[in-house]
Order: sequence, then C-alpha cells, then structure tokens
Amino acid sequence: MPAPTHRVFSLGRIAAIAANTLTELTRLRVFYALLIFALILIGSSIFMARLTFQQELQVLKDISLGAMSIFTSLLAIVGTARLLPQDIEERTVYTILAKPVARFEYLAGKLCGVLMLLAISVGLMTVLFSIVLFFREQSVLAETTLQMAGLPADQLSEAIRSVRASAFSANLLPGIGAIYLKGCLLASLTLFISTFATSNIFTVVVAMVVYFIGHLQATAREFWLLEQGGGPFSRTFLAVVALLFPDLQLFDLADEAVLGTVIPFALFLKTVALGCFYVVLYLLLAVVVFAGREL
Amino acid sequence: MTEPAVEITGLTKAFSVPFRRGSVVAVRDLNLRVEAGEVYGLLGPNGSGKSTTLKIILGLVSPTRGRSEIFGLASDRVASREAVGFLPESPYFPKYLTGAETLKFYGKLCGLRGSRLKHRVEELLALVGLTNARDRRLSGYSKGMLQRIGLAQALVHDPRLLILDEPTAGVDPAGAREIRDLILGLKQRGITVLLSSHLLEQVQEVCDRVGILADGRLIREGALQELLAVENLTEVVLENASPNLLNEISTLAGKSGARLVEQRKSHTTLEHLFLEATERKASADVAE
Repeated sequence: MPAPTHRVFSLGRIAAIAANTLTELTRLRVFYALLIFALILIGSSIFMARLTFQQELQVLKDISLGAMSIFTSLLAIVGTARLLPQDIEERTVYTILAKPVARFEYLAGKLCGVLMLLAISVGLMTVLFSIVLFFREQSVLAETTLQMAGLPADQLSEAIRSVRASAFSANLLPGIGAIYLKGCLLASLTLFISTFATSNIFTVVVAMVVYFIGHLQATAREFWLLEQGGGPFSRTFLAVVALLFPDLQLFDLADEAVLGTVIPFALFLKTVALGCFYVVLYLLLAVVVFAGREL
Repeated sequence: MTEPAVEITGLTKAFSVPFRRGSVVAVRDLNLRVEAGEVYGLLGPNGSGKSTTLKIILGLVSPTRGRSEIFGLASDRVASREAVGFLPESPYFPKYLTGAETLKFYGKLCGLRGSRLKHRVEELLALVGLTNARDRRLSGYSKGMLQRIGLAQALVHDPRLLILDEPTAGVDPAGAREIRDLILGLKQRGITVLLSSHLLEQVQEVCDRVGILADGRLIREGALQELLAVENLTEVVLENASPNLLNEISTLAGKSGARLVEQRKSHTTLEHLFLEATERKASADVAE
C-alpha cells in the first residue's frame, strides 16, 4: 500500500466541518430568534404610526438596527458556546480528530459554520427590515401627498425628498456590515473561552461580561485618562485592556447611519480590518489552548 | 521484519487532579507492539487504562513519558491518522443526519470527493448491512445499527489499522455477532485490528493475541492459544460414545499413568442458544 500523503492544511476539511456545524445550528431552531426580531419590527412599526413621519422612520430604523445588533450578538455567543463542550461530551470530537484532521482545522471549521449562520441571519433580518421600512415609507409618502395636496409643488417635492431620505438608504449597509463583524468577533471570542471553560454557562457569562466591558471601555478609558493623565504605565495598561477586551463601540456604525451621517469608506475599511484582526487573534488563542487540551 | 502497526515504548500517563497535589497515573511504563495484520485484544477491568492507551495511540491525549507510533509515524503527528480508523465506546453521531450523510461527512474529512466518495459510501453501507437504512435518520437507528455505522465511518478512508474501544458495549447478542463477523472479515482483508474490551468470550473468538492491563500495567501478554493452553491437560471430544467405551478409555488412561480428570456432556454456549432460538422464531414469523 502506498505511504499515506497528508496535506497539513485543507480547505475541504474545514468546509466539511463548517457545513456540518451550520446544519447542526439550524436544526437547533436558533432561527426562532429571527421570529422574535420580526415581531419586534412589526410591533414597533405599528406603534410608530402614531408619531410624525420623520420621527417614525427614524425610530423604526433605530429600533430595528438595535434589535439586529443585539440578536446577532446573542446568536453568536449562545450558538458558539455549546459547540465544543457538546462535541466532547458526546464523543463526536473523537471520531473527527481520529481522522487526519488537525485541531486548528476543527476549530476553524466550527467558527466558519457559526459565521455562515450569522451571515444568513443578518441577511434575513436585513431583508425583513427593508421590507417593513419600504411599506412604511410608501404609507408615509401617501399620507404626505394627501396632507400637502393643496401646497405648492416645490414644498411637496421637498417633503417627499425628506421622507425618502429618512427611509432605507445604501448608507445603512456599512452599519449592518459592522453589526455582522461584531457578531463574528463575539463568536471567535466565545470559541476561545469555550476551549478552557468548564461549562456552557461559564462560557456564556464570561462572553457577556466581555461584551459589556467592550461597550463601556471607551468611556472608561476617556475617564481614566482624564483622571490619571496619560503616563506610559496608564497607556500600556489601557493598550493591554483594549487588546483583550475589544472596543465594541467602534462597531456601532449603524447609530451614525441612522442619523443620516454618511459613513466614510475608509472608516468602514478600518472597522473591517479591526474586526478581522480580533477574529483571527481569538481563533489563534483558541488553537493554542485547544492544542494542549486532553480529550 | 515488517513494520509494526502500533508500537508503544515506555509509555506513562499521569493526569493531574484539580485543586489537589499529586496526580492519578492511568498508564505505567507500558510497552506494546501490535503486528500488522493481527487482531490484538487489550483487556482489563474498568479504569485499567485501556481507553487512555487507545487515546494516546490516536494522539487525542499526550503521554507524560514514552512514545507511541502508528506504522512508524509518531502518534502526535496528524499524518499518522491517515492509516487509522477509530470507533469510540458508545459513539454519538448527529441524529439529524442519515446513515449515508454521516459517512459522506467523515469521508470528506478524509479527503474523499465526488464519485469516489459516493462509491465508497455505498460500498461501506453494503459491508455493514445498512443499505436499506441509508436514508433513515440516525435517530431511528437501533444501538446495533449505530455501532455498525460507527464501524463504517471508521473504515471510510480504507485504513490499515482499526482501533475499536468496547465495540460491542450495549449491543444485543445478534448485533455483537455481526460486529464480530465484520472484524473477522476485516482481518481476512489484511486490516490490523486493535480492540479493547472486558467481554472476554468475544475477545477469545476474534483475537490472535491479547494483553491484559491492570492498574495501568501490562501484566500478561501473548498469543491467545498459548495463554489459554493448560500444559498437562488434553481434551478429547467424542461423538456417539457408548458408556462401555468411556469406561475403557478411563481404564486405559489409568494403566498408562494418566488420570481422567473430567467426563461430561459437551455444552453449547448461551450465545449460540440465544441466537438459534431468536433466528428460529424469526424464520417461523416469516413463514406465517
């Protein structure tokens, strides 16, 4: 028999594990979270009808993107936390790693499966959000045209332009992209925590703590620098904190987009680079810890 | 001399206990060699170190001291797993997959694609007798069927060495016999089998050599026939022997200085009795 040939890295193996992980997660009915998102969206849309049209579309966007951000983050943390412990508990990991599969391929496959799930979820939420926003926009346009029927044409066209500017615009897409990136970062972080955690609960709690620290650290940092000054010790300490706990506020580009601010392409690229850096960093840390783990 | 399928030298594994000093030693200074083409049984009571030894061979656990090799490649190298198939004790496979999907998944992990993968999946389903259940979800499989699909996934990349951890645990006698027959079939095809078990009768039926582990140490090892043979006793099995003939044999033995130790009716095994009864019932049901 010929000597076995082994490729150290195989995208095929990673893709097989990723596809299996995606199937596993979809069977867990995590998409029920999307149903709750839809209910919030439709519910808030009905409630917003009582406000003025500009407020209505603005608040609808604000609530929808906020809900999208929270659901994506929760899906990332909860969906990832159980992957490793379950495989170990049910011994599936033995059958996979007893094949010519390296541990880093196994982890990369698991993470890719979650990232695919997040991409599908964010995509579906965006479509749902766009549909609701489109129908509200049409409704508001009809009302505006009816109410301003007697006014001069330039005032009417200005009002219509204003309504359209408050509705869905391409400027929201970088904001939604940043929400997805934050989800990817949290999934990678959760995978890293699960490589040394003793239970699912521990993994979820630690990931949530990092999530809150990540959202608060920018404010805390500014306060610290104001109080303590910017000495080398303070700066080093803050740099270490920033490395371990990512500044998640940097991914909240959607807040700006909702207000109508155009997100500069350079800023979006910087956010993408930062997100990718953290995803790779946490994956590498997970690989290092998991490589030494006794199964 | 041919390369051994498994070679373990001076292997010791100690697990540290959290929040305590010291450690628990699972395997102590173990030397083991499994020759290519043989069926080797690793025996021992629960906690004797069998599973830990198998995990070290597969690179799932790293040894504290010593080394383990598969066909000359160190066990900690991923490439060594190209030649190994493994069935863990009471394995769990995703219940939402069908039998064919499960084998496809493991086949892809081993680099199989396209028509080669499809052909291999069908071949293995036929080998383990699950062709009719290929599209049924594993949630509807019996314990014996799960064990057979587990065996099929272990064989998906046509390994030269098959490692089985308690392959018949929790399986009924008919299922256990099927697995035993499969192991014997694999041996005939030249595949080396290393299995751990505490079901001694089944090991006796399939193994060429056995090693007995106790408290992490290999206390006995050798060819099964040699280990089981009692030097100064000889068995003679007669068919249709009359009482007179038996008396004559006894007298003759006494005259030649030997002693007739035991004379009894030959017994069938309980397993044989069970299988015969259940198969006869099944045949009668089919006839009706």
